[in-house]
Amino acid sequence: MTRTLILLTAVLGLVAALGSAPAAAQDAPDDGTQVVPVAASGCTAEIIGNVQQALPGAFHLSCQKSRASTDAAGRVHTGSVDAVRADAVVNGKLISYELTADGKRVIASIDDHSDLIGSSGKGMALLFWAFAAASIAGALFVVTRKNLIAAVMGMVGSFLGIAAIYMMLYAQFLAVVQMLVYAGAIMVLFVFVVMILNRPEDEPVAPSGRAGQVLGGLAILYLIGRLVMILVQVQPPDPAIAAAAPRGDEQCVAWKESKCVRTEHYEWGSITAVGTDLFGPGLFPFEAISILLLLAVVGAVAVARPLREENDAPAKVRTEGAP
Amino acid sequence: MTSLVWNIGYGHFLVLAAVLFLIGVAGVLVRRNALIILMSVELMLNAANVTLIAFSRMWGDKAALSAHTFALIVIAVAAAEAAVGLAIVVAVFRGRHNVEVDRLNTLRH
Repeated sequence: MTRTLILLTAVLGLVAALGSAPAAAQDAPDDGTQVVPVAASGCTAEIIGNVQQALPGAFHLSCQKSRASTDAAGRVHTGSVDAVRADAVVNGKLISYELTADGKRVIASIDDHSDLIGSSGKGMALLFWAFAAASIAGALFVVTRKNLIAAVMGMVGSFLGIAAIYMMLYAQFLAVVQMLVYAGAIMVLFVFVVMILNRPEDEPVAPSGRAGQVLGGLAILYLIGRLVMILVQVQPPDPAIAAAAPRGDEQCVAWKESKCVRTEHYEWGSITAVGTDLFGPGLFPFEAISILLLLAVVGAVAVARPLREENDAPAKVRTEGAP
Repeated sequence: MTSLVWNIGYGHFLVLAAVLFLIGVAGVLVRRNALIILMSVELMLNAANVTLIAFSRMWGDKAALSAHTFALIVIAVAAAEAAVGLAIVVAVFRGRHNVEVDRLNTLRH
């Protein structure tokens, strides 16, 4: 009974906390018109103006010129503009456009990323649902199964699903680490302990009575409904930046007097990018984590070690008693 | 409604993370086996990681890559927590021959 009360109080507290959230969520204007900073390279103001007329909300303008040449007198002839490219977000999808040299007419449109997470269409959406279902089903397995090994396997399935979800968010390195650490190491640890304990659970779920279960279930359903309603509305602050994130991108690695002097090609979420961040700004936490892991290993061994007087003494008696 | 099914946006990832977190919370609150409670905690940590990565991706900023560092550190802390937690479970089991948190109501055995 007390457990039901605790559960209900926690759930109602969460619901109450969420009740005040929509007011804050409605602050963000969601009328579809985002002001996008135009990053233009090599384009004249005239071309930029033309492109913006032809493609409202275009960004990432780039004008490719034929190579500049220097004549005998040392005068530099910059080539004329050959092609103009621009990206635009239309209905939440990023589309690359190729325009005529004056930027007035669209020649071709390339559906580069068909939606904001960069997945391509329905196949990827189906995969998302499949992996989301796998991870949720695994999580439900953990919470509901009486058999501990089944619970551990559900947890592994859930973690593998989450790894795939990371992959969809372009966090490749994290996905691999997730599989290695969670589905590999932590799973083995849990299975070992389950095998050591080797004891079926007598009472899997707290008895709470029909009314309490129904009330708690309804409260949880309401909470999930509210969460879905609020979170599905979440839009990136700037869909242009978000949509452009996965592409290979030049990242500044050296500055001199607030100007970039060296750029390198990075891909979001790749080992290079993560490593650069981990060993740059994240160096102190990285080193601190190694101390934490060392302490955890020592602590785990110290805690799990059998106590001498309990376990050794009976063994000694037995050997002494043996003929 | 169909657009909600076929157009996967950041909200979907956040909802997924929230549901996973809720399942983890329910596991911690409802179950009595210490092992299951530890697993539920791992689930909650994972859900928080998914949220971190989704938001980092959503902001699309280079600096947002720090979320990767953060997530990696969370994974390391989760591993350490699992190791120590399971060691405690084993030690408790050795003393009392059961790991149900409702029965662990005294400090000595």
